[in-house]
Amino acid sequence: MTSTHVSEREFAPYWSTVEILTRRALVRLVRMPSLLIPMLVMPAFFAVSFTGTFEGVTRVEAFPTDEFINWVAAFAMVQGSIFAGIGAAGAMAQDLDNGFIDRLLVSPIRRSAIIVGPLVHTATRALVPVTVVLMIGTASGLDFPGGVAAVLIAYVAGIGASLVLGALGLAVVLHIGNIRAMAIVQVLAFGLMFPSIGQVPLSLMTGWLYDVARVNPATNVIRMARQGFIGDVSWADTWPGLLVIAIGIFWFGGWARWELEQRAP
Amino acid sequence: MTATVDRPRRMVVIEQAAILARRSVVNTWRQPAAWTPSIIFPLMMAAIYSAQFERVTELPQFPEVDSFLQFILPATILQGISFNAGEAGSALATDIETGFFDRLMASPVGRQSVLIGRLAGAVAFSALLAAVLMVIFVVFGAAPEGGLASALAIVVIAAALSLSIGGISVAVALWTGSPEATQAVFPLTFIAIFVSSAFFPTELMSGWYKTAAEANPFTFIIDPTRRLAIDGFSFADLGQALFWIAVVGVFTLGLSYRAYLARLRRS
Repeated sequence: MTSTHVSEREFAPYWSTVEILTRRALVRLVRMPSLLIPMLVMPAFFAVSFTGTFEGVTRVEAFPTDEFINWVAAFAMVQGSIFAGIGAAGAMAQDLDNGFIDRLLVSPIRRSAIIVGPLVHTATRALVPVTVVLMIGTASGLDFPGGVAAVLIAYVAGIGASLVLGALGLAVVLHIGNIRAMAIVQVLAFGLMFPSIGQVPLSLMTGWLYDVARVNPATNVIRMARQGFIGDVSWADTWPGLLVIAIGIFWFGGWARWELEQRAP
Repeated sequence: MTATVDRPRRMVVIEQAAILARRSVVNTWRQPAAWTPSIIFPLMMAAIYSAQFERVTELPQFPEVDSFLQFILPATILQGISFNAGEAGSALATDIETGFFDRLMASPVGRQSVLIGRLAGAVAFSALLAAVLMVIFVVFGAAPEGGLASALAIVVIAAALSLSIGGISVAVALWTGSPEATQAVFPLTFIAIFVSSAFFPTELMSGWYKTAAEANPFTFIIDPTRRLAIDGFSFADLGQALFWIAVVGVFTLGLSYRAYLARLRRS
């Protein structure tokens, strides 16, 4: 080992670094209501506005449920969770702008902790939208034929989706290097969510959208989150979603880690 | 030697605003990451919704249109504009964060020019953006019924609306000085457009949501804009859309002006 390298014992403990970075992000969130409010308001609006706007779609023959909330609640949860993930990327963008990341990069801490900290923060944030949509859904007549499993699966899908988009957001932000990257991340998130079974089933789609939605990974995550609101929870509807989440975290997390390494002095 | 600066009287406010507006447009243009989403995102939504909801146009309550794509033409353009108008605030917040705003305040630039310049830049860029989106819709077979007159009227409405919406993001930028907080406004604008007749006819909604959508100022702006697209050009529709944009603008620009005064006191 050359003298420029930091020896193993000189690194700060990994998980305490992650905890500090997570706590810092959460404290910042609480101290800036302008960041906290969209986290609460957005999922509520997703649930209410999608249900209210597209309620008429259920009048089309062969729509799988009479109440649009049963169909769209999962979409609102996953969408809200994804925004939670994007928020974590936004915080990273601001830290890049103000030089905090550069200071972390020359500190004796594990570089992967700089990625994992915001991701833990993201997972914590994702609890909010899922809970908000469940509360609004319950008040709006959301059915739970899947029972408690329906709720648990919804949380798993929400947290998983936020981690995947959080990792993707971090990678894009680190690649571009400033807050303007957020617009691209938002478009990517919408681009992933909308051509899916989020708002209508595959049977109602026409043309190119049917083919895209069928293979869109977001379709599997939404199907996983939705299953307990329109029927029983089954492994067949669960494992494809879990697989997408696992691959997404691994792939985009790896990309973010690589981008961070490129920024290191 | 004392260096006194004879501040705003040296240059006409309009000239300074024009220079700052040009800077804003050039600055936006040079960062494709800032404006490409304003084109890609609304077009993506239009493509998806037209494939998702084409069968809904067969319902008896749906207005008579050639296609769902034609129905959402105005919504698509106004959505692109709202995205871009949000960018005006974000750029201003960046100026505040990097200290450029404070340097402007310390320079012999008229105080009004800074705000007017930023908003005028957003309007100019929005007009360009709306024209590009309109051309793309025409290419994909969803041309407005009224031809060039309707197309121009929709572009004018879009540019005017960007001023009204830009007022909100500029106000948040001035209040918080945080680009991240300013970016967070965009989803709220998106939702405000959503709870209107932009993407679905209010005839197919029900209950309190229908009432809210019918009372939403965006509905008052989008409905006449849509008539320009599917029925043809009329001065009445153009005037109605511009009137409601002015009503919204009085509120949002008033907010941004108050925030600007507050920021000046802190600067």
